Amino acid sequence: MTVGTNEKLSLKNSKTSPFLTTERKDSLSRMITIAGFFALWQIIGMINAHFEWFNPTFLPTPVDVLGAALHLHDQGVLFTHIWSSTWRLGVGFILGVVIAVVLAFLIAKVKFVQNALEPLINVIGPIPPFALLPIFIIWMGVGELSKLTLITYATAIPMIAYTVDGIRNVNPLLVRSALSLGANQWQVFKSVILPSALPPIFVGMRVTLAISFSAMVVAEMIGAFSGLGYLIIDSRNFFQMDNMFLAAALIGVLYSIFALILSFIEKRLFKWRQGTQMNDAISK
Amino acid sequence: MGLVVTDVSKSFPSGHGIKPVLQNVTFESKDNEFVCVLGHSGCGKSTLLNMIAGFASPDDGFMTVNGEQINGPDQERGVVFQEHALFPWYTVLENIALGPTFQGKSKEESQQIAKKYLALVNLEDAANQYPSQLSGGMKQRVGIARALANEPKILLMDEPFGALDILTRETMRKELLNIWMHLRTMVVFVTHSIAEAVHLADRILVMKQGEIASNIEVHLDRPRDAKHPQFLSLVDELSSILIEEKART
Repeated sequence: MTVGTNEKLSLKNSKTSPFLTTERKDSLSRMITIAGFFALWQIIGMINAHFEWFNPTFLPTPVDVLGAALHLHDQGVLFTHIWSSTWRLGVGFILGVVIAVVLAFLIAKVKFVQNALEPLINVIGPIPPFALLPIFIIWMGVGELSKLTLITYATAIPMIAYTVDGIRNVNPLLVRSALSLGANQWQVFKSVILPSALPPIFVGMRVTLAISFSAMVVAEMIGAFSGLGYLIIDSRNFFQMDNMFLAAALIGVLYSIFALILSFIEKRLFKWRQGTQMNDAISK
Repeated sequence: MGLVVTDVSKSFPSGHGIKPVLQNVTFESKDNEFVCVLGHSGCGKSTLLNMIAGFASPDDGFMTVNGEQINGPDQERGVVFQEHALFPWYTVLENIALGPTFQGKSKEESQQIAKKYLALVNLEDAANQYPSQLSGGMKQRVGIARALANEPKILLMDEPFGALDILTRETMRKELLNIWMHLRTMVVFVTHSIAEAVHLADRILVMKQGEIASNIEVHLDRPRDAKHPQFLSLVDELSSILIEEKART
């Protein structure tokens, strides 16, 4: 039995130096784009401040925005706002995903739950969640509960669809394969259904994260006393354009951090997908 | 006792009517026997295998293994699929260790068993690779090792080499024979290749339009020589049965 030596050529060499240099080139050109954007913004703002084509208050420069950040920090409220938004989003998003995944598995597995929930979701789901915020506030008050409910709800509704889709697309051959290896229902779930539904669940999470952020900002704009959305509304009342830009930028940064965490988890979780995706079609 | 199939019939709905796929299939096979089910595509051979595996149940008739009625999939009947059906999120070793783990064995014990069967199919080097990194032949060897790791009473193979190129196919056939000579598990092997069946089988079931047209015991010594006169005459006999069918349809 000396067969298959040729077949044993593994993909050990896939991470050699040329890949690293192209990766480095990529990240370099990305950084230049971002730096260029801020430089251009700064220059236009400064030119405008000099010639006064329009009121310079309307367009604060990046330096002004940094100044606003320092000012808020001195007042001791900058991190309060950031932290309020972060934990609201974190809790609401995770809660929404967990509830959606549990419901989706019940919908896919239990006919009764499917018949009970699916029509309801079809009727209520199309209503933009933000339209429900005033109702939530009347029901639950202006405190954290109504805000968390909105974020959780806005996350859960689309996540259910992604997860159900993922579960329904499990390859039946793999289920057969597990059954004939002697797996019981729980083992089939753990070893086959969950791992094959995870990639679509993560696609859903990436898409839904944007919706959760919108929900967070909207919730903080109405009836809140902290958070980045509140900072925008509060600054509008006092015409502090630099604060508004700062809050918007911080929301962007926060989103990027959450997205980065998601893609980090994805990379750890889906090592097995290496070499099975479009970018792997041709390697140089 | 072995595997006993008695008067098994099965039909599937197709269009407006129902299409019979298997009609009164009856055969027996002993433990340690290598059975090949030979036939054209669509003759019902895969359906028969799926029913022995427990993925479908017969409309009529009985199927028993060692006197016990087949009732759903079970680890005593290991299956090797044509599309290999390995779990892409587990490494080669984890795939093979899965059966013993399902049986409640500890992680270490399962890994020990997996390593033993990985060695049996000559794939120790690939233990920590993922299925997507393997060639077709390697995947199929992992599939065989995975099914064997449960020490099944019957190994069911549904055209396991059907998706492989002809060179790999031949080496895989030899390897399978070596493994089988070593373990002597009962094998039910579905194929449409006459030569493959004559090379491998103790018993060849020729299927024609859902019926067993011929049940032939093969007594040639192994390894079999494809140029041996008895080998050639058996190939002739089988192809005349199969081609006769083709002329009729």
